[in-house]
Amino acid sequence: MHIQDGYLSTSVCLATGAVSLGAVAYSLHRMKDSLGERTVPLTGMMGSLIFAGQMVNFPIGLPVSGHLMGGVLAAAVLGPWAGCIAVTLVLVAQWALFSDGGLLALGANVLHIAVLGSIGGYAVMTTVRKLLGGGLRGAVAGAVVAAWLAVLAASAVFCLEFRLSYAASDFDFGNIFTLMVTLHALIGVGEAIITGFVVSVIYQQRSDLIDMAQPADSTVASSASRFAAAGLVCALAVAAFAAPFASDLPDGLDAVAERFRIATSEDSTAGLFADYDQIPVSGWQSLSVSVAGIGGSLAVFAAAVLIGRAIPMTAPTIATEATGE
Amino acid sequence: MSDFWDRYGRSVSICHRMPPVLKLALAVCVIVAGVAIPVRYWPAYGVLGCLVFAGHSIAGIPLGYLIKRLLIFLPFVGSMAISLPLSQGLDRGWDLMLQIMFRGCLAFLVSLWLVNVMPFEQLLVTLRKLKVPAVVVAILAFMYRYVFVVWDELDKMRTARKARSFSGGSLWFRWKTLSQMIGMLLIRSLNRAERIHGAMCSRGWDGEVRWLDDSD
Repeated sequence: MHIQDGYLSTSVCLATGAVSLGAVAYSLHRMKDSLGERTVPLTGMMGSLIFAGQMVNFPIGLPVSGHLMGGVLAAAVLGPWAGCIAVTLVLVAQWALFSDGGLLALGANVLHIAVLGSIGGYAVMTTVRKLLGGGLRGAVAGAVVAAWLAVLAASAVFCLEFRLSYAASDFDFGNIFTLMVTLHALIGVGEAIITGFVVSVIYQQRSDLIDMAQPADSTVASSASRFAAAGLVCALAVAAFAAPFASDLPDGLDAVAERFRIATSEDSTAGLFADYDQIPVSGWQSLSVSVAGIGGSLAVFAAAVLIGRAIPMTAPTIATEATGE
Repeated sequence: MSDFWDRYGRSVSICHRMPPVLKLALAVCVIVAGVAIPVRYWPAYGVLGCLVFAGHSIAGIPLGYLIKRLLIFLPFVGSMAISLPLSQGLDRGWDLMLQIMFRGCLAFLVSLWLVNVMPFEQLLVTLRKLKVPAVVVAILAFMYRYVFVVWDELDKMRTARKARSFSGGSLWFRWKTLSQMIGMLLIRSLNRAERIHGAMCSRGWDGEVRWLDDSD
């Protein structure tokens, strides 16, 4: 389930909403340029697919089941801009039809899944593909790594938003951070593996679809800004693991909140800096987060290797009819 | 499947007959009020709760339906909210947890009201009236139209998979099979999108989104 109304404070919701609105507006502009008249049918169809796909439950060996988010998958097939729009509209439709996710929290949800997930994930994906030299393995490995990092980065950003929503004294940031990041490191593995499998299936059948997302004229970004975007997503994910060891991180957040006079909690009578010494994360927390980080990274790379190995070196390319472009 | 979403969307009541923009504005106001009003004005929450239930009963949405949906919703909100007291060893944070749960449930009930009182097509018309970019509304309309087709195809694949006794197998195998289903569905959907695009072009589509003037 997505973020509901009530998790985050109004000001955080508005701030994330503003950022998401800007990103979505920009994506709309770029999408129309790259897709032209195919925009509506292509993005719409992909949207219905992601919508239906999110209702498919994957068994995870526990009484709960998981489901695919699809941000990186959308970007793999449609490119970053149309992918972002498709995922955004899926989130809007999920609110409008299922009440899944809050209305005010739409901004935060879009930021995490569509902006960070699709656009950031695309940057990571193409960077990895470039490093691995393209082809099937590059595509799959890129998708796997991007999907995992996207989930992780989203959870880190959510913790940040949560921290800005409430006063320091209301909850133990270290514990919550550990819980969130560890959980999402595990969930991200599932998302990464499934995304990798789906990308490999598509690549074997219609490799042109994956390459379609690669703009020939590189309008999506020059390599420099793509590296920057990829770097940002990685940095957020790395911060998720490094933060427990950086005991002064919450101090930075407090300072930022104070500087920008962000209302951290309307009804807290304690000051912003109450329980200041409660912040450093104790031994077991940092251990569990690093275990999650190392374990997750290993699992992701193992998955990338295994999925890549299960595929023959030269995938047959099926000749597809010209689309009349 | 469409029945699952807005089971009471076709009823007739004052709420259903309200102007769509008003319905949306009301829902947004109540949600914003629920999230923004500080806890110390707690009587306001009682008022909001009564308002929401009044809205539901005027619209003819039965309580059983609300309770069933709430029961599905509560574990998600609850698990998120309970992390607050849990993180502090269960001695503090309960009031914040209750606050989150109440606000979440309130917003959820308001959304349920809006979903059942305003069919999706009406929402699209309202969005257009509110000057949302035409291409966005067009994509949403397209999505809504074809999600049933995609879902039917997915269902067929699932039946076929069941008929080939899928229940066994390791986790890896099951994930692989499900991913193959999704991959094939994706390719078929994109093929369908290309066919639809061709059909649109042969009927004069040039990328510019136009609407018949609804004048309502």
